[in-house]
Amino acid sequence: MSNPALLELICPAGSLPALKTAVDNGADGVYLGLKDNTNARNFSGLNFDEKSLVEGIRYAQGKRRKVLMALNTYPQPATLSRWHKAVDTAASLGVDAIILADPGLMDYARKTHPQLRLHLSVQGSATSYEAVNFYRERFGIQRAVLPRVLSLAQVENVIDNTEVEIELFGFGGLCVMVEGRCLLSSYACGDSPNTFGACSPGHAVRWELTPKGMETRLNGVLIDRYANNEKAGYPTLCKGRFEVQGETYYALEEPTSLNSMDMLPEMARLGIAAIKIEGRQRSPAYVAQVTQVWRAAIDAVKKNRETFKTQPAWQAALAKVSEGSMNTLGAYYRPWK
Amino acid sequence: MKLSLGPLLYYWSREDTLAFYEQAAKWPLDIVYLGETVCSRRHLLRLPDYLELAEKLSAAGKEVVLSSQTLIESESDLKALRKLITDGRFKVEANEWGAVRLLAEARLTFVAGPTLNAYNPDTLAMLAEMGATRWVPPVEMPREMIKDMLAALQPLPNSATWIETELFGYGRLPLAFSARCFTARHYNLQKDDCQFRCLDHPDGLVLTSREGEDFLAINGIQTQSAKVMSLAHRFDEFAAAGIDVLRLSPQARNMHRVVEIFRALAVGDIKPAQAPAQLDRFMPAAPCDGYWLGEAGMAFHPVNTPVTEGEPA
Amino acid sequence: MTLPTLHLPTLPRVLSRLTVTIPAWPFTPPTSRAFAFAANLAAWPSLRELDWSHVHGRHFCVQVSDIGLQFFFTLHAEGFRAERRSRADVTFTATSADFARLALRLEDPDTLFFNRRLLIEGDTDLGLTVKNMLDAVELETAAAKMPVGLGHLVLALRRLALKD
Repeated sequence: MSNPALLELICPAGSLPALKTAVDNGADGVYLGLKDNTNARNFSGLNFDEKSLVEGIRYAQGKRRKVLMALNTYPQPATLSRWHKAVDTAASLGVDAIILADPGLMDYARKTHPQLRLHLSVQGSATSYEAVNFYRERFGIQRAVLPRVLSLAQVENVIDNTEVEIELFGFGGLCVMVEGRCLLSSYACGDSPNTFGACSPGHAVRWELTPKGMETRLNGVLIDRYANNEKAGYPTLCKGRFEVQGETYYALEEPTSLNSMDMLPEMARLGIAAIKIEGRQRSPAYVAQVTQVWRAAIDAVKKNRETFKTQPAWQAALAKVSEGSMNTLGAYYRPWK
Repeated sequence: MKLSLGPLLYYWSREDTLAFYEQAAKWPLDIVYLGETVCSRRHLLRLPDYLELAEKLSAAGKEVVLSSQTLIESESDLKALRKLITDGRFKVEANEWGAVRLLAEARLTFVAGPTLNAYNPDTLAMLAEMGATRWVPPVEMPREMIKDMLAALQPLPNSATWIETELFGYGRLPLAFSARCFTARHYNLQKDDCQFRCLDHPDGLVLTSREGEDFLAINGIQTQSAKVMSLAHRFDEFAAAGIDVLRLSPQARNMHRVVEIFRALAVGDIKPAQAPAQLDRFMPAAPCDGYWLGEAGMAFHPVNTPVTEGEPA
Repeated sequence: MTLPTLHLPTLPRVLSRLTVTIPAWPFTPPTSRAFAFAANLAAWPSLRELDWSHVHGRHFCVQVSDIGLQFFFTLHAEGFRAERRSRADVTFTATSADFARLALRLEDPDTLFFNRRLLIEGDTDLGLTVKNMLDAVELETAAAKMPVGLGHLVLALRRLALKD
């Protein structure tokens, strides 16, 4: 590799229009998944069939942008062939890389399609260089997406001890838990991100306007009730309001989105290969707004790291599309923990 | 059916912890897991203390396994992990893939913990090939999937022993791990200055819905179920599912009673249908068994009395 | 950079008062019929290619909160069909301006939801399915299949709003 990747902007594509929007607004790459539980955004009506995938790859690669396919759930014994077939499809259609979480599936991909580039998904829960290097040695992964639980100093320690490229989440829905190690959704409704590919799937969610406010239920369990003037968040358990020792509050996390833009200069210094934008479940309008802002910010930080300043207009635009209209630096900023 | 005592997930005082394991040496258990799997800030017992306990339990006839930390964040976490592995006297339970790498490098056999996410036979076979002699399925894995896993697992060419399957069978379910400490957050403290408030909550801190339903329990950076997973009433389903070891997760009170009831089940002194009534008063919360049945983890399906259903066909 | 805003005229108050006082008629309300007619004309040509089979016969309600209008309809192989006021499987509630912004792809539904400007009640999965399927239709393609003039108008409106 002549030029190592630096701060590539990787944007979400839940549909063909979202993919084109991301490309048109300056994404260096898009990530997407198929219409089934082989990826962790398995929501009805979302994602790609073979026809739209072919068209998406043609569109993005035609403009020299990358297409990364997420196959980041855990294959299960009865349906293992579905994941194998998805890997075969990705290879035959010529995606630029596949994003995997399961070691067994990596082994299959490595042996069946040795030329196919492998990325370790955030769902693989690798938080240390020992774990990252395990996947490197065994399967030759070339990039790892780190869970949203490390501080930047901890990220630096990983980078210093591996040759694997590191991708970090820049913006979007914030998993408070280590990705791939969270079973809250299946505890409440039977379906987990690991096996079903969705957290709080639509069939388990009910919103209802009541005299007390808008109620959100997951499989019958009341996870929040919003007064009329309160902003809302996704119906995930980690953003619910519960009572602990007589006090009702957001016991795990407020409805808020991750926004690490203030840390871009530091990320550039560390040599972060790519910044991932969360949100395959969202509409092209979101993809357009967020991609524009991050393209401008990354261009600015690449031009001059020292003078880089986050523009208030960028922050305002991002806050507007955020959960609860709030942003946080998350674990990148130690006191958050 | 072997019985194991899982790693202590809570933070108890040094005295309470030592007293607990002193007692445990006398309980009818086959295997005891030791070590801090949740939070690196918990330091009342350190590796030398665990090793000393391990020697004692081993002398009392227990198989001892040292459990590794689930979330590795810093270089000091890795240092602690390396020490645990290099000691070499006791088998290690690997709870993330960095530990698997180090164990395989050291050519040591190990136990593959529940958070390694072995959801399919390919991954399980890989673990076995790297030295795992026992695996704990993810706690959400249903009975039918465990059966499918074992049915699809090819016999290992170089191994005389079959990989053992250990099921999380009793205790509040460890559901999620975070970088954030929810106990510290509850007390408006920063994690780095948490004042070790976990010490005040020996069975975790229960979180209820706004309609008063006990739902989850917070235990530092770990989120657990408020309900206690209990498969006592389904004890007769284990053999057909290929379960070799049943894991009982420590609780603050009456753990010896819990162990005794499961032992009575294992030797056939009581029938599965009788177990819930006996267990009930020793449990810190209501039972659940949904995961085993492939449903929401919080669901519970009591088994009818043996007169109507429990008799063998 | 500022995000686009779209100012759309709201209907006169009189009309709004009139529509909210419409009683539960025993027949299909003319509002729903007008909605289905317009939807079949403007939207259906670009939607018909999608596989709607799993939402056939499900009852939808679109509730425009600022003008008190409710549209009841179902979806069939031949397009939208107006329905009598009935219990809907899923109900979408927003203002006329926000529905317009959604239709012109100026706003993301999740953003509106976080800001409490969009409510989905009833069968959430059905609601999300429809939302995701509509997202998968390209506005340009849809506009091209609209009746002469309308498609141009839609795209012009969007361009105007984006410049705003």
